[in-house]
Amino acid sequence: MEKIAITGTGIVAPSGIGKRQFWANIKSGRSFVKEITRFDASKYPSHIAGQIDDLEKYTHVSERLLKKIDAFSHMALIASEMALQDAGIDIKNEDPNLVGIFLGNAIGGWLYAETELRDLYIEGREGVSPYMASAWFPAAPQGQVSIYYGIKGFSKTVVADRASSLMALGYARKVLSKSKLNMILAGGMEAPVTPYALLCCNTYGALSKNNAHPSEAYRPFDKKRDGFVIGEGSGIVVMENVERAKSRKAVIQALISGYGTSCDAVDRIKPASDGKELARAINMALNDAGVSADKIDYISLDGLAVDIWDNSEIAAIKSVFGARAKDIPVSCPKSMFGNLLGASGAVDMITTVLAMEHSLIPPTVNLDEPADKSLNYNIGKEAKEKRIEKALIISRGRGGINSALVVEKP
Amino acid sequence: MKNKIKEVLVKLLRVKPEELKDDVSLQDSIGVDSTEMVETVIALSKEFNIKLNPKDITKFSTISDIAKVVQSKIGQ
Repeated sequence: MEKIAITGTGIVAPSGIGKRQFWANIKSGRSFVKEITRFDASKYPSHIAGQIDDLEKYTHVSERLLKKIDAFSHMALIASEMALQDAGIDIKNEDPNLVGIFLGNAIGGWLYAETELRDLYIEGREGVSPYMASAWFPAAPQGQVSIYYGIKGFSKTVVADRASSLMALGYARKVLSKSKLNMILAGGMEAPVTPYALLCCNTYGALSKNNAHPSEAYRPFDKKRDGFVIGEGSGIVVMENVERAKSRKAVIQALISGYGTSCDAVDRIKPASDGKELARAINMALNDAGVSADKIDYISLDGLAVDIWDNSEIAAIKSVFGARAKDIPVSCPKSMFGNLLGASGAVDMITTVLAMEHSLIPPTVNLDEPADKSLNYNIGKEAKEKRIEKALIISRGRGGINSALVVEKP
Repeated sequence: MKNKIKEVLVKLLRVKPEELKDDVSLQDSIGVDSTEMVETVIALSKEFNIKLNPKDITKFSTISDIAKVVQSKIGQ
């Protein structure tokens, strides 16, 4: 299938809002995982997260609209605006029927929903904002971005747990390669730092309880790992066909060249321990890209920091890359700001594109002593120099939803 | 009365006071949507302690129209 260009990047993450600030913090290995301050979370087994506290400073959204939407839509609106500006696109000059939106989300807008449900039980039905109906559900950000810019083309929201946004990118590429649209805003958003969403994440049982040392809590592939840490934010990119990008003299930041997905089909929560289906998704992505396994020079790991997840990911990589598995640099930069669940894959792709642009392998913080030494982890707190031509991004969801994406330097 | 109604709308819908005109409909002045109208009916009912139905005021109502309706309901 055809390669699709990424020409604009918007990032709203605990490590930074805007790609410059985000990348400066990522390459220096700074952790943004902290104790939750938005509400009293002290009674939760895990009460640390990557939070964004200064969204208002970056917003272009009116107060009138803000009261109608959840934080995850707000983040998606900011990321979309940044992506369009970065791509040098004035949406007014586009045919609205030929612009699409493909976003991923896992849990919906709970800060809004929880507040309104509380009012329902305390004040009765008249206490509930009529915007509740359109604010909380996972496709709400897609709708808000569509209304904000008047975007009218084929659009979708993918809900596939933590694999949601990498899948959204994969589908966006498919739609563009069939020349159905001129451009797509694609990525994901998640805002799980709310009392109920945090409770659900805690019940899942995979969160780190290292509340005493937030910045050291998320340690994928490390011997002392005890689960992941949640984070909030949004990553959205502008995608378009290469010829169109060239004809309008846009800067092509990277090319998405391959995508693969599969399901483990063994358990409601856990992945298959053998990683076979993940390996199949990776091979699918490589075949789709027409790239042989020996050409991949960086892998962005899913890295849930849970034994079965990390080990099955390693097994899949070993099965695809064989003897080279121990040589290809791999890392899991989300260890610095938390797992953005439905937005994690898109943010990982953005991090990888920035890594390519700067020829630096981003670090995995807290990976001091690998539990399994069979991969080439980028040990250390700082990014390491390395030219990256072709990279693989892995994103997996609960119960073993596997997705893999290949990106290439333009 | 009109000023009080404007105050309620400004606080509720987060619009600017100068956007609301006595003799221009809510649709034409602030582009009110149907959900905002639901909120408006509830907020005015609470503010003036009256029973207001969604049919009593619409997006085609002006501030003057609303004032007349509210006035007629007070004390009912």
